[in-house]
Amino acid sequence: MHTTGTNSELFENLRLELRRGCLSVAVLVQLRTELYGYAIRKALSDHGLAIDENTLYPLLRRLENQGLLVSQWREEDKRNKRFYRLSPVGEEVLASLLAEWRQMNSALERILAVPAPKMQEQTQ
Amino acid sequence: MTQADLIDRYLNAVKLWLPKKQQKDILAELAEDLHSQIEERESALGHPLEEAELVVLLKRRGSPMRVASGYIPEVRLIDPAMLPLYWMVLRIVLLWVLLPIFGLVFIAPIIDSHSPGKALAVFLATAFQALFFVIGIVTTVFALLDRYHSSWVDRWDPRKLPGGPRSHQQMQWYNDFSGFAFGVGAAVFWGVMMWHRGAFVFSGGSRIILTPIWGQIYWLVVGLTLARAFVDLYCFVRPAWTSARSWVRLGFDALKVVTALVLLRVTSWVDIGGANLSPADVAKTVAWLNATIQVTLICAAAIMLFDGVRQGRLLWRAKNGRPTPVLTES
Repeated sequence: MHTTGTNSELFENLRLELRRGCLSVAVLVQLRTELYGYAIRKALSDHGLAIDENTLYPLLRRLENQGLLVSQWREEDKRNKRFYRLSPVGEEVLASLLAEWRQMNSALERILAVPAPKMQEQTQ
Repeated sequence: MTQADLIDRYLNAVKLWLPKKQQKDILAELAEDLHSQIEERESALGHPLEEAELVVLLKRRGSPMRVASGYIPEVRLIDPAMLPLYWMVLRIVLLWVLLPIFGLVFIAPIIDSHSPGKALAVFLATAFQALFFVIGIVTTVFALLDRYHSSWVDRWDPRKLPGGPRSHQQMQWYNDFSGFAFGVGAAVFWGVMMWHRGAFVFSGGSRIILTPIWGQIYWLVVGLTLARAFVDLYCFVRPAWTSARSWVRLGFDALKVVTALVLLRVTSWVDIGGANLSPADVAKTVAWLNATIQVTLICAAAIMLFDGVRQGRLLWRAKNGRPTPVLTES
């Protein structure tokens, strides 16, 4: 029972680590077109990448502080909303990030393509 | 409670924990997100949200403090790379410095005291103060190092790293550590028990009177003991032999032998006063005490000479290009 609990905790920690980098890339990709916070959440969720508001808004703020995003308050549907989009620096960084991600992904695919040795072979 | 009231309460609670400069901006965005979410939920349900439903929605967003924490930049006190060093220094200071001080300075008064309970209470209060003070000082030093000199962790050269531990170094490791612990204990004894002391007074009025020679060599002994303790600590932290280390140890050994010889030139180191003994018994006790001190001094000088010869042998072997396993000893 304890092992199962530890395993699920381990998995959760690793999943969060894996998600952290992916979410930044996903948000940057999404913001190639201008969107406000709630719409970003909806768009990502529609693509199967749910992100909660407590993660998204601090992330947006951090990316903006790093100069990767620009934002402006504007009225839409009688409410003030903050719209974000990729900055010119953000576009450059995103291109590099995507190249890196593709390289990592293809490397991982190649590693996965190699059949795992059987247990018997490993112990010999 | 109305919907607006609940939202206001929630946002105000978040505001409390937000960085002042960004409060307005963050809250405006959070409020907008909240209203968008409520709007969507209401259109899905087909009716305005009731109080219980709104409470569920707010609770799902998380506690105000947790929501605000996402906007607070991560602050670290100590560089993670320096944490192992921090723990090691803290352990050394607590176990090998503070503990012996407690033992020497506080345990004896508790045993001697007429009211041990009161003495123990005073000891515990002082011990806690000292504990937190020491932890505070070590932590502050590391925090300052992180703030102003954190890059030193990355200034390194593989050629300057200490050699790997080998099996025959285990004993040396133990020696260095014991040397440091003993040195600190001795320094504490000299620093606390011998400071401006002319005599040790015991219950009943009897006292062991120290002759002036102890006052004359006081600072020399304290300085030598402390310096040697820190050399041992350094050797313990970076276990590898270098000729400089042997020279330093040789120097300490020589100075300690000289100190012992200076002390041995005196024939009487202590006297007894106020004891309820006959003059003959006093004379016998004084003679016995002085003989014990004389033997102790001779033994100490012999140990120093032995260590000096050992260091000299290491230096001689290194100079003549005869590296043997013994060279890896510090």
